[in-house]
Amino acid sequence: MKVLVLGAGEGGFHLAKRLSEENQDVVLIESDPERAEFASQQLDVLTVVGNGASIPILQEAGVDTASMLLAVTSKDEVNLIASMAAKKLGVEYVVTRISNPEYYGQSSVLSQEHMGIDLMINPERECARETLDLLRSEIATDVMPFAEGRVQLVGLRVKEGAPVAGKTLAELGGELRDHHYATVAIVRNDKTFIPRSDSKILAGDQLFLLSPPGEIEDIAPLAGYKSSRLRRVMIAGGSTEGEYLAEILEAKGIECTILDRDRRRCLELAEHLPSTLVLHGDATDLELLEMEGVADIDGFVAATNRDETNLLSGLLAKTAGAHKVVSLVHKFEYLRLVPRVGVDASVSTRMSTVNAILRYVRRGHVVTVAELTSIEAETIEFSVDEDSQIAGRMLKDVHFPKDAVIGTILRGDEIILPRGDCKVLPGGDVIVFALPDAVPEVEQLFG
Amino acid sequence: MSLARVANVVGLLQVFVSLSMFFAAGVAFVYGDGDAVGILLAGLLTFFVGGFTYRITMFAGDLTPREGFVIVTMAWTATAAFGALPYLFTGALDAPLAAFFEAMSGFTTTGATVFADIESLPHGVLFWRSLTQWLGGMGIIVLVIAVLPYLGVGGMQLFKAEVPGPTPERLRPRITQTAKLLWLVYVGLTAAETALYLFGGMSLFDAVNHSFTTLATGGFSTRNASLASFDSAYIHWVTIIFMYLAGVNFSLHFRAATGRPVYFRDHEWRFYTAIVLVAALAIAALNLASGSYAAVEPAVRDALFQATSITTTTGFVSADYTSWLPGAQMTLLALFFVGGMAGSTGGGIKTMRIMLVVKQTAIELRKHLHPRAVLLIRMGQKTVKQEVLANVTGFVILYLLLCLAGAIVLSFLGMDLLTAITASMSTVGNVGPGFADIGPTDNYGWMSDSALAVLSFLMLVGRLEIYTVLLLFHPETWKSRRSFH
Repeated sequence: MKVLVLGAGEGGFHLAKRLSEENQDVVLIESDPERAEFASQQLDVLTVVGNGASIPILQEAGVDTASMLLAVTSKDEVNLIASMAAKKLGVEYVVTRISNPEYYGQSSVLSQEHMGIDLMINPERECARETLDLLRSEIATDVMPFAEGRVQLVGLRVKEGAPVAGKTLAELGGELRDHHYATVAIVRNDKTFIPRSDSKILAGDQLFLLSPPGEIEDIAPLAGYKSSRLRRVMIAGGSTEGEYLAEILEAKGIECTILDRDRRRCLELAEHLPSTLVLHGDATDLELLEMEGVADIDGFVAATNRDETNLLSGLLAKTAGAHKVVSLVHKFEYLRLVPRVGVDASVSTRMSTVNAILRYVRRGHVVTVAELTSIEAETIEFSVDEDSQIAGRMLKDVHFPKDAVIGTILRGDEIILPRGDCKVLPGGDVIVFALPDAVPEVEQLFG
Repeated sequence: MSLARVANVVGLLQVFVSLSMFFAAGVAFVYGDGDAVGILLAGLLTFFVGGFTYRITMFAGDLTPREGFVIVTMAWTATAAFGALPYLFTGALDAPLAAFFEAMSGFTTTGATVFADIESLPHGVLFWRSLTQWLGGMGIIVLVIAVLPYLGVGGMQLFKAEVPGPTPERLRPRITQTAKLLWLVYVGLTAAETALYLFGGMSLFDAVNHSFTTLATGGFSTRNASLASFDSAYIHWVTIIFMYLAGVNFSLHFRAATGRPVYFRDHEWRFYTAIVLVAALAIAALNLASGSYAAVEPAVRDALFQATSITTTTGFVSADYTSWLPGAQMTLLALFFVGGMAGSTGGGIKTMRIMLVVKQTAIELRKHLHPRAVLLIRMGQKTVKQEVLANVTGFVILYLLLCLAGAIVLSFLGMDLLTAITASMSTVGNVGPGFADIGPTDNYGWMSDSALAVLSFLMLVGRLEIYTVLLLFHPETWKSRRSFH
């Protein structure tokens, strides 16, 4: 499949990288020659320098033979014009990044179809939604919905002295016999591996589990957590992501406080958010945070536009006693720092966008795919049909790659946790967890 | 500041006032009480003085905001002065100041009267009284803007200075169209009430007069005992409903008339309605408990009537509230301050301003809990600008100070405390009756000329919402602008 990626910013660059690693033909269009040069050196992609909204440039990039356009520059207008042009020129799937809600809100007379867009992505809103998922699942470092939310992939870090620490997966399975879940990956010292039944869980590990929503609350105590509900949230930093999150929280009736150091921004926030308490102050002003009750807050989100401030502010809040702390991190390099710094979880606007787009890109057999911020692994949802190699065979007879594991089989309304004597039948969905190297092999099995 | 320009517009307005006098003279002629000639003479004098002034002061160009404020105050004073002529020329009143007071009370829709025996007055004079209120209710200048587009751009200045409420709302892009629509709603409601009165058995003359003074929230009646002289529950209920409607923002009526009723969505409307209902229920409960009413319906009806009448600053009475329990009287006294909604014909502080002051107070309290909070005040979806809040707070303080100052002056003129205080409150709020010596069965006729002059001034300041008139006393208003050479 030929994919045009518009914009080689961090999001576009990462998308191009992932897609080319999966053997897609990627053409990257970028207006800044230096950045285009950098991308062509780092990636196995074709780069075209120029304005992505211009028809000659699109034609030079081979729009006629492309089946997909990912318009992800930072300029909404460029993305919009490029999308409309590409659709007219016969591109089948058009994915467009649009940040300004005025272009797609209810007031807009132009519908998504008018603009030739198949999937519209608002990065900041996507990020705010993911943050809320993280806050709600209070023990999770990552939360990702699958199969319309019937199954969740949840990451959680094992605390020091937690009951599960030192046990093997087999022993844990015995204790949790009545619970629906599958342990699909463990991250230890920045290394991801797919655990076997004799793998031991250690304190400090990050476990990735697949389970229906709700089950995780019962597993939480084993990892050393106590569960609670989300009632009060404090957002340090009035970034667009922070504002969207406050907006979502308001709609759900969750008490929300937001603070920003810029007085004019505070006035804007106060105008847009009628039931949110807006404070004028710095995200790292501990005195202010404490005065506003950070110690008994359920969720704290550090969401300024500066990563360093967000990590520090998150750490301050965690130290002061905030229950669950999430930091907004823009730089990919900083994502690895998150566990070391001591905040509970992180979100990245670009990563949220990339995930949302990748989930859409791998169509056909692949229904959903997720890439997690903190590990080098992917969760892929396949739908099984008659022609699939794996169809009708017992799992123990299938030669499954070592670095991949079947997490869950969905058959109708049933959610099945796989054992050796399970059969994969056509018509069902299967959620597979795999390290990147194993992905092509797994895809063959389902192909 | 050009006095000639001011005189020009004021003169033109007097021509319109004289036209309404000719109309009243026509009515007088039909009823044949012998007052037609006097009113006609007053009309002719007004017509020629106004027309002459207008002719000799013609100018080109637009009005400045300062001229706008001066014009409005001068126009209202001149209108009251010429409006007093029919009372003098027909012999209904001898004292010029009493006649001026009566005319001012009419045009400002206050409803305070110097006549002890209203029923003995000829039909023409009675009709003129009601007509002054009806014209003053929506505003003389708004009427002129509606028919005379020449005031055009400068018209907005006049409009702002005259229309009640913190922010006049434009219903249409053009000010002339907005003024026309407001008058259309006004006329429509007046016709509706007249029809309902006629259906209830009122005479045509009484029906028209009372409809005029209800919609204007004026309160002049053709009877000595006001609405109490009509022994009909139906007529009282009709009056309650239309007094209530006159206190609602007319743009809401306009929206409803064009098929989009938005009353419930309007926060001020909810507040205004809640005040009327809560006050009326409290009074009704008190009156039932004290045994002054035996049945529930009359108790509720009289409580609603008085509460609506005072809140909207109409000033009609259906019962002598000075004989009620102190709790009920005090409740009514508090309602003197409230007034109708912004954009209604009612006077008083206006519910919009009261809401904003209440919200401002709530925010000050919250600021003590969250010293670093950035808090905004909202009306519905919209946030209220800081300048508007400062204006509103200033207005409320000025309003209260004005009531106090008026009461002090009146007490120096020898009035007893309760009379002085309620007379001041009643005239600043354009209500009409008060307590003690100016209760529902009394009148203002016994007062000295100086007291009547003070009260006339208070009525004017109250009707033009204080700032417009007080600006005349600011030295900068009279400084000429430096011109560029």
